[in-house]
Amino acid sequence: MLTRRQMMASAVAVAAVPLAARAADPVTVVATTGMIADAAAVIGGDAVAVQGLMGPGVDPHGYRQTRTDIVALARADLVLWHGLYLEAQLESLLQEMASRTTVVAVADRLPHDVLIAHTQYADKFDPHVWMDPGLWSLVAGYVGDALAAAQPTAEAAMRARQADYQTRIAGLRGYAAETLASVPAGARVLVTAHDAFSYFGRAFGFEVVGIQGISTESEAGLARVAEVVDLLVARKIGAVFVESSVSDRNMRALQEGARARGHAVDIGGTLFSDAMGATGTYEGSYLGMIDHNVTTIARALGGQVPQAGWQGRLGQA
Amino acid sequence: MSFLAALSLQAGYNAALVAVGAAMLGFAAGAVGTFLTLRKRALVADALAHATLPGVALAFLAMVALGGDGRSLIGLLAGSALSAGLGLWLIEAMARRTRLPEDAAIGAVLSVFFGAGVVLLTVIQTLSAGRQAGLEGFLLGSTAGMLWQDAVVIAAGGAVALCATYVLRRPLQLLAFDPQQAAALGYDLRRLDLALMALVMAVTVIGLKLVGLVLIVALLIIPAVTARLWSNRSGRMIWLAGGIGALSAYVGAALSASVADVPTGPIMVLIAAAVFAVSLLVAPQRGILAGAIRRARLRRDWA
Amino acid sequence: MDTGVGLAVLKPADSPLTLTGITVAYGEKPVVLAVDAAFEPRAMTAIIGPNGAGKSTLLKAALGIVPRLAGAVTVFGQPLAAARSRIAYVPQRASVDWDFPATVLDVVRMGMYRQVGLLRRFTPAQKARTRACLDRVGMEAFADRQIGQLSGGQQQRVFLARALAQAADLYLLDEPFAGVDAATERALVDVLKTLKAEGRTIVAVHHDLATVRDYFDEVLLINQRRIAMGPVGTTFNRVNLQTTYGGRLGAAQVAEIEAQA
Repeated sequence: MLTRRQMMASAVAVAAVPLAARAADPVTVVATTGMIADAAAVIGGDAVAVQGLMGPGVDPHGYRQTRTDIVALARADLVLWHGLYLEAQLESLLQEMASRTTVVAVADRLPHDVLIAHTQYADKFDPHVWMDPGLWSLVAGYVGDALAAAQPTAEAAMRARQADYQTRIAGLRGYAAETLASVPAGARVLVTAHDAFSYFGRAFGFEVVGIQGISTESEAGLARVAEVVDLLVARKIGAVFVESSVSDRNMRALQEGARARGHAVDIGGTLFSDAMGATGTYEGSYLGMIDHNVTTIARALGGQVPQAGWQGRLGQA
Repeated sequence: MSFLAALSLQAGYNAALVAVGAAMLGFAAGAVGTFLTLRKRALVADALAHATLPGVALAFLAMVALGGDGRSLIGLLAGSALSAGLGLWLIEAMARRTRLPEDAAIGAVLSVFFGAGVVLLTVIQTLSAGRQAGLEGFLLGSTAGMLWQDAVVIAAGGAVALCATYVLRRPLQLLAFDPQQAAALGYDLRRLDLALMALVMAVTVIGLKLVGLVLIVALLIIPAVTARLWSNRSGRMIWLAGGIGALSAYVGAALSASVADVPTGPIMVLIAAAVFAVSLLVAPQRGILAGAIRRARLRRDWA
Repeated sequence: MDTGVGLAVLKPADSPLTLTGITVAYGEKPVVLAVDAAFEPRAMTAIIGPNGAGKSTLLKAALGIVPRLAGAVTVFGQPLAAARSRIAYVPQRASVDWDFPATVLDVVRMGMYRQVGLLRRFTPAQKARTRACLDRVGMEAFADRQIGQLSGGQQQRVFLARALAQAADLYLLDEPFAGVDAATERALVDVLKTLKAEGRTIVAVHHDLATVRDYFDEVLLINQRRIAMGPVGTTFNRVNLQTTYGGRLGAAQVAEIEAQA
């Protein structure tokens, strides 16, 4: 027969179980881009259940929400989006969501002095900040802030994972700087489907040329194609790059235009510009995405590059 | 690139390819459009054009599912032709078997197919298929990313359509003018009408890339009605309409090439419309000015 | 009185046009009901009846222009498909949009498209024939005139010229004198009578009861069904007319017609 004290103790113990369980309930996080979802999953670990809206190959500039997306957003404890007008078609939806749940625009929090101004709009910025690992490391920090605020009990573990993640990003950045430095000076021109690589160019000393503007919603005029063909021929650029989330027609048109002028241009490879690689693969993570881009670019433009990239983890590029 | 350079094919390989392809398309559209307007079937042509959209989307999905690129032009055009054909069959079946008047059947098919196509495009956009952007270009046309193989498809398709139109010009003319006489002479009216629609479909399908499905019907109609202002004989109308179509398409492509960020289809149509407006004014017999001068002279003679 | 001229008397091979049991319906509405008729060769036959009697429809069904529910057609003893080149059809003037971009000569040429084919050019002989046919109807001077500028009578002449250009043995005309001025009517009748003299057969849907005796040798009276058929002298009488028109003809009108006999 239990004493009164023993019964009280066991009652408290029984009552504490659901409390502990609730404390361990993962926070539901919905992220827009795959890169943000990746960071949230790595930093949050078990404390979060992350769902990304835009999968591999999806173009965030033109993405419109589906009904399933709206339901997921409404049920989320925390919504992480990029901001800087990257998800142009989702702005109003996300602002509406802010009245129901916590919504954080992680890249919006970057100080303006590190951002590159938008080429077409005076008061806007180029959103492709993940192309510079240094900047993305800062954003990972903001992701960590948001996750910690949503799940304070797990903050310590999350901050530890965040620091580890930022260290790895720093390592990647070192690899990128070293590898890209080996590309000869005259070949340091990166021609891609749209202007997604300005931060990349600034960070690693490359001239970047996009056929379409900063957003893939802009039409690429033939005038622009002709301009770039002129550039390819004049500077004897050997390779141009296709992007996984954008049509490759313009690049093929570039190739034909250059060939008509007697200059052969290769497709140097497919780059991950606005979306990562296939889910479950190494390239389907942020580190893998940048690793793949750097390795592909360096190899195609004549640099010295290890076969399987940074830590030998790249698949068939 | 200056407009004049683009006009004279001096603005580079890509622009020249677009301009020449556009001219061939414009010529075929004008010629086929002549019979289309004389036979008074322009509305069906518009429904056909809008009915291509779900076919394009489904072809894309099919090609991706089979592991292909998803954007091979020939595959997409094949899909567009199939769904347009289905739309045509539905219009005919509805008009024949139900009490629905023909224009209601046309409107129903046009909107349902187009709506289905838009929904499919939205679905495609959310897939992980990658490289899906570019299908929206089929709505209003784009010169960007035009490749040599595209130009070949357009030129070949246009040439075939033109040849078929020339071969069938006599029966089609008779069909448009006096279908009862055509039937009495032994022509199969149903087959001739189908042939005409097949020609319209051919022009629509090859014009999807440059002009887009929303406006291709305008490129079929406007040069033909403009030619009507200048000629009283249907034989000559075909050549005139072809020429006006080719000119509008060529100049439109050159303009679109030299000015950034403008979709091609609307520019071509606006140029064709400008030619129509000028013709409406100055055409010698059927123009407004000519009519006013005639009436003034009549009044003076009888005053 | 129906003299019953038809299959029993004329052998199909002799008759330029034999219709057996022709039935036509638009939707569920019957328009022509089991009409039998064997048309007399080398004669001018009028098809007479009130509005909506199915006269035009009968001709169109005979030629396959509208589908028929039942019935058979033989032309000079052969099925229609084999003998089309021996028939020329002149539709109603109102069935065409005269604003079409074509000249008078273009219209006459259209009648010859079957003979010329899809791609061959018109031979000099064929071109001469079109002009001759225009001349025969008095429209030679209008050869290059836009058809929209023609009067009703001129349009009807052009239609007949188009039929003449086909050099047919059987001419089927749908209300050829409707809305036409007197001079044109006289001119057209003269041409038709000349054709008859050349041994050809004329069948015309006719709307003017007063001129039946002058123009025609035979008459077919129908009002959805065949009422009577035979020579004008015997068949075009008060009884048959009253039956055909359902008693709607005024007594004075019938008396006038009878007086012409």
